[in-house]
Amino acid sequence: MKRRTAVRNMGLALGSVISLPAWANAWSPSSLIPADLLALDEEALLAEICETILPETNTPGSKSLKVHQFVHRMIQDCLPEKAQDTFKKGLAYTDQQANKKNGQGFVNAKPSERKALLVEMSKAEESKDFVKLVKDLTVRGYRISEHYQLNVLKYKMAPGFFHGSVPVE
Amino acid sequence: MSNLNIDAIKKRSFDAIVIGSGISGGWSAKELCDKGLKTLLLERGPNVEHIVDYPTAMMDPWDFKYDKQMPRDYLKANTIGGRPHNFQEDSAHFYVKDSEHPYLQDKPFDWIRGYQVGGKGLMWARGTQRWSKYDFEGPARDGFSIEWPISYDELAPWYSHVEIFAGISGNRDGLEQLPDGEFLPPHEQTCVEKHFSETMAKKYKNTRPAIIGRCAHLTEPKPIHLKQGRGKCVNRNLCQRGCPHGGYFSSNSSTIPWARMTGKLTLRHDSVVHSIIFDEKKNKAIGVRVVDRQTKAISEYFAKIIFVNAATINSNLVLLNSKSRRFPNGLGNDNGLLGKYMHFHNFRTTISAEYEGMLDRMSAGNRPNGSYIPRFRNVFKQETDFLRGYAAGLYTGRMTYNDTEGLLGEELKESLSHRKYGNWYVGSHMMGETIPKEESRVWLDDKQVDAWGVPLLNISIDFDENDNKMIEDFHVQMSEMYSAAGFSNIKTHHTPNEPPGGDIHEMGGIRMGKDPKTSLLNKWNQLHHCPNVIVSDGACMTTNSTQNPSLTFMAIAARAANHAVEELKKGNL
Repeated sequence: MKRRTAVRNMGLALGSVISLPAWANAWSPSSLIPADLLALDEEALLAEICETILPETNTPGSKSLKVHQFVHRMIQDCLPEKAQDTFKKGLAYTDQQANKKNGQGFVNAKPSERKALLVEMSKAEESKDFVKLVKDLTVRGYRISEHYQLNVLKYKMAPGFFHGSVPVE
Repeated sequence: MSNLNIDAIKKRSFDAIVIGSGISGGWSAKELCDKGLKTLLLERGPNVEHIVDYPTAMMDPWDFKYDKQMPRDYLKANTIGGRPHNFQEDSAHFYVKDSEHPYLQDKPFDWIRGYQVGGKGLMWARGTQRWSKYDFEGPARDGFSIEWPISYDELAPWYSHVEIFAGISGNRDGLEQLPDGEFLPPHEQTCVEKHFSETMAKKYKNTRPAIIGRCAHLTEPKPIHLKQGRGKCVNRNLCQRGCPHGGYFSSNSSTIPWARMTGKLTLRHDSVVHSIIFDEKKNKAIGVRVVDRQTKAISEYFAKIIFVNAATINSNLVLLNSKSRRFPNGLGNDNGLLGKYMHFHNFRTTISAEYEGMLDRMSAGNRPNGSYIPRFRNVFKQETDFLRGYAAGLYTGRMTYNDTEGLLGEELKESLSHRKYGNWYVGSHMMGETIPKEESRVWLDDKQVDAWGVPLLNISIDFDENDNKMIEDFHVQMSEMYSAAGFSNIKTHHTPNEPPGGDIHEMGGIRMGKDPKTSLLNKWNQLHHCPNVIVSDGACMTTNSTQNPSLTFMAIAARAANHAVEELKKGNL
C-alpha cells in the first residue's frame, strides 16, 4: 500500500499549499485505486526494475524518489492504451526470465543479476520495447524529481533574468 | 408598479453594462469606471481572483502528477479544448471542456474558449505589436473586405494610452511598418537571433528586420503599474498558470483591480448573457437578459450604454440572439451581414532548423518572449500573386541532452548528471493575414440550445487559395533567409489538415465600416442602427493584418468607451 499512501501524501502536500484545480477534483487519489493497473507484487517488481535502471548511489535512486510510481501513473493514465499491454506482458516476462536465469524472481535476484538481465532484454526483439518504455519513463520521472531538479539542474522557479549570450557552462 | 419592483429595478440599473471580462471587456470597464460611470461587468464563467485563484502557479515540476501531460481520457473527451499550444496539466483548468460548451462545425473549426473572469487573457501569448497605416489602408489599396473607418493616426494616441497602463516591453526599432510604442526596456535577443538579424539587414538591405518581440511584460514597472498592485516580471515563463507577481498584463491583475478601486465597478461572474433587450418605444437597447450559470435563474440588468466584449464569436452569438420586432435577424442586423466576413490568422505552418555556429555560447535564464519578423511581403506595394503577407516568430536556444542510449544503472545515472550541449535550435511560426469572406460565417441553430437555453452556434470558416499560396511563399522565403544565416537541417512543418481556430485569433462578424449597408459598426464601434450598443472586441475587426491582435483590441476598446461616455454626457445616447 506504500504507493497509495505516497500518492495520498502528495495530494495532501499540494492541498496544504493550494487547492487543486477543478479538473483535478475528479481524480482524487482514492479514485485511482479501483482503476489500478498493477497488483501489489507487480508494483514491487516495477520498483526494482526502475531501481535497476537508476539505482541508489551516493545520491537517491528511483525507489527512494518514487519514480516507479510516476512510471506506473503515466502508463495507466496518459500513454496510449497499447503501452499498457507492453507493460503488463513485459513485467511478467521479466520475472519469468529471472526465474529461468537465476532460479528466483527478479525482486529476489542480486543487483548484478538484475542489471545483466535488463541489458540482455534491452537487446532482445521480444523485450526491447518494454525495456525502452520503462527506461524512458524512469529517466523522465527522475528528471522531474525534486532531487534532480534542485541538485543537478539547479532549478529556479523565478530566475529573474534572461541573458541572450553567455559562455557555455 | 409597486415600490418593491421599482427598488428591484433600481438595484439592477447601472450607467453601463460590459459583457465579458477578458482583455477588451476589462478595458471597457476600466475606462468607464475611470470616467465615473457605475458599471456592471458581466462574466459567464466563475471568478478568478488575481493570485488567489491561480491554483498551479506555485507548483514545482515535481508537484505535477503527470509531468504536465494531460490524461488520455481527458484528451479523448476534449479533442478541441485540449489542443491549444499552452494547454497542459498546469493550465487545463482555464480552458472549456468540449462537452460542456458544444457548437456545430459546418466546417471543422477549433473554437478555443476560456470561460472565467479574465477570459483568455490568462493564457494569451502576450505579443503586442501596433498596426501601421499600411495595415489600416490595406483593404482600400488592395480591394478586399471594406475600408477601415479609422486610420492609424486616429488610433495611435489610444495605443499609447493602453501601452502605458498595461506595460509593454519592446525596442524602439523605428520601423514604418511596425510603429514604435511606449516601451518598457526590451528583452535581449540571443546571439543567434542577433546574427540572423544582422545577416538579414545586409542581404535584404533592411527590408526584412528581425527584432526582439514586443510583449505585455513589466520589465521595469512604473508607478502606474505598482498602483495596480503589479510587480516586475521575474522570468518564470509559467504565464499560462496566471502570474502571482502580475508580471504580465491581464484583466485579473490590472484593469479589474483598477476599476474596483474607483468604487464604481460591480463584477457579476457566473452570468451567462442570453441577449440584449431592445425597447421598441425608446428605440434603443435598455439592458441585458442574464442566465445564472449554476441556478439557471433568469434576471435582467439595465443601463444606458451596453458594451459587447464577449470575445469575437460569442459577441456575434449575443447579437444574433438579441431578436426583437425591430431587429428580427439580430440586433443591428438590417443588412444581413451580422456573423459574416469572419477571419483569423493563418498559423498552418512552421519552419525549424539548427545552427552549428556560436557553440561556445548559450542563453541563460528565461525569456517569456521571442524575436519577431514583421511582415515584409506586399507591405509598401503589391509584389506577389497572393494578397497581403505574414509575420513570423523567431525562437532560438541551445539543444541540451544526456546520452542514454545503451546505458543502464550507475552509468546511466552518471550520464544524467552532466548536461551536454547540442547545436542551436531555430524555429519560426507563420502568422498570415487571411481575407474576410462572406461565406466565412457563424449563425444560430434553429433547433438545438445549450444548457442555458442559448441556441447553439454553427461555424463555417475555412482557409482558401490565398492562404495556401502564402504558406508556399513562407516556406520559400524563410528557407532562403535561414540558409543565408547559415542555418542547417531546415525543415518545414505544414499541417494541411489543421482546422482554423487554433490560432485563437478569430475576428470579425460585426465589422466596423463607413457604410451601414456593408458594415455593422461605425468608426466609434457603435452599432449603426442601435448606437447605445458598442462592440469593441475582436468581432469589430474589419481585417486582421499580421500582428497579435490583443493590443489593437485594447486600444479600440479604450477609444470606444471614452467616446461613448462623451456622447452620453452630451445626451446623444
